[in-house]
Amino acid sequence: MIKSSELDPNFKYEISKEPGGENIKKCFNCTGCTVGCPVTEIDKSYNPRMILRKSLLGMRKEVLTDDSIWLCASCYICFERCPQDVKITEVVGAIRAIALREARAGNIKIKNTKPVFDNLFIDSVRSNGRWYEAGVSGTFMLKTKGVGGAIGYAPMGLALFKKGKLSILPHKIKGTDEIKRIFEEVSTK
Amino acid sequence: MKLAYYPGCTLHGTAREYDASTKAVCKAAGIDLVEIDDWNCCGALEAIFDKELSMGLSARNNFKAQKTGLDLVIPCSICSHNLSRADMAMKNDPSFRKKIEKALGEEYKGVKLKHLLDIIVNDIGTDVISKKFVKSLKGIRAVAYYGCLLVRPSEVSKFDNPENPMSLDNLIKATGADCLPFTRKTKCCGGNLLMSKQEYAFLLTKKLFDEAKAVGSNCIVVACPMCHMLLDGQQAMIGKAHNTVIDMPVLYFTQLIGLGMGLSEKDLELDKNMVSTAKLIESIGKAEVSE
Repeated sequence: MIKSSELDPNFKYEISKEPGGENIKKCFNCTGCTVGCPVTEIDKSYNPRMILRKSLLGMRKEVLTDDSIWLCASCYICFERCPQDVKITEVVGAIRAIALREARAGNIKIKNTKPVFDNLFIDSVRSNGRWYEAGVSGTFMLKTKGVGGAIGYAPMGLALFKKGKLSILPHKIKGTDEIKRIFEEVSTK
Repeated sequence: MKLAYYPGCTLHGTAREYDASTKAVCKAAGIDLVEIDDWNCCGALEAIFDKELSMGLSARNNFKAQKTGLDLVIPCSICSHNLSRADMAMKNDPSFRKKIEKALGEEYKGVKLKHLLDIIVNDIGTDVISKKFVKSLKGIRAVAYYGCLLVRPSEVSKFDNPENPMSLDNLIKATGADCLPFTRKTKCCGGNLLMSKQEYAFLLTKKLFDEAKAVGSNCIVVACPMCHMLLDGQQAMIGKAHNTVIDMPVLYFTQLIGLGMGLSEKDLELDKNMVSTAKLIESIGKAEVSE
C-alpha cells in the first residue's frame, strides 16, 4: 500500500533539475518503454514504466534504493520509441545522480556494484585523462569479489596481456590540468 | 580524403585489432587518418549517465579535432555517441558551452564528426568501396550486429534506421559474403550490465549467439568495441556460464572488408581476436558443408 503521507511530491522536480531529467513530467504512462526493454525481456520484475511512475508519485526513497535503477543497459530503445520524448535513459541517469549523492551523504545504501566500478573508472580518467583498464578492473574485482573471486579472472587478464591488449601501467595524457578543470566546471550548478 | 582520427581508449587496448584494421582499410581506401593530439577518454559507458561530465570530457576531444581543421572519424560507437552528443550540446546549450569554454579557455566553433561505418557506407559509398574488393568472401555467412549506440538515439546518430538498419548488411553483401537476416541486430548485448549484473549481460549476449546460430551464420560482424568485448572477449565465460561451447568468430567490419580488399591477416590482426578466426578464414571460397 502506498501511504500518501510518505510521498515526496517534490521528487519529480528534483529529478527534472538534473541534467537529462528535464522531461520526466511529460510521461503519460503508456508502457512503450517497458514493452521494448531488453532487460524486461529477461527479468519481468524490471519495469522502466514503474520507475517513472513511482518517481512521479514521489516514492523517493523506494526509487533511490531500488536495484532497478542500476539495471538500465543504456541501449536507448525506450529513448527512441517514447512518444512523449521523456528521454528515459537520461532520466535514469538523473535518478542515479541523486542516489549517488544521497549515498555519499550517508542517507541511503546502494548495494549494486555498478557505482563502484564507475567511480574507479572515472577516478582513473580524472588522474590520467584515459582509463586505466588493468588497474580499474583489478581493483574492482578485489573490492567486489575478494581475492578468491579476482583470481577467477586472472586467466582472462593473462590472455588479454599475451595478445598485447592489456597494458600494465596507465597512460597519462599531457592535458590532465584541462581534465581537472572540466571536472570542476561540470560539478558547479 | 583526409580525416582527423579519434581512436578512443579501447582501440589502444583490448580493441587493438579494430585500430589496426581501421588503419589498414582506410589506407587501402585512400583515407588519410591524422590521430588527434593528446586525446582523452570520452567517459565511455561509465560516465554516460552523468550527462555533463560525459559531454565535458568528450568536448575536449572535439576542441582538439577543431584545431586540425578536418572532419573527425570515430570507430567506436560509444565514443561516437558521446562526442556527437557533446558537439550538439556545445551548439545548443549555452550554459554548458560556457562551462567548457571556461575550462579550456577556447571558443568552440563546431566540428563535423561521424562513425567510421557512416564514412565508409555514405561518404565514400558502398558501391565505391566495393570496387576495392578484389577477393570474394563467399563461404562467410555473417549476421550484421549493430548494437545500440551506433544507430540510437537517432537524434544523435542520424545515418541509418535506429531499429532496422541495413548499411552494414549491404556492405557485408558487397564483399560476396552472405549476410543473413538477424532480428536481434539492434538488441543490446548487455555491455553496460557487465558490472551491475553480469548474469544479465551474459544472458543478453547468449540470445545473440542463439539466433546467429539458428539462422546458420558462421560469424558475427560488429562495429563497436564494447559489443566485441562481450561477443568475443567474454564468449568463453558466457559459454562456461551456460554449460556450452559457443565457438562463434566475431569480426570487426573493418577486418571483414579488409579481407575483401585482399589485405593480409597480419595487417588486420585477425590473430588478436579472442575466438579463433582460423576456421572462418579457411571457409572462404569453399562451398557450405551440409551438416
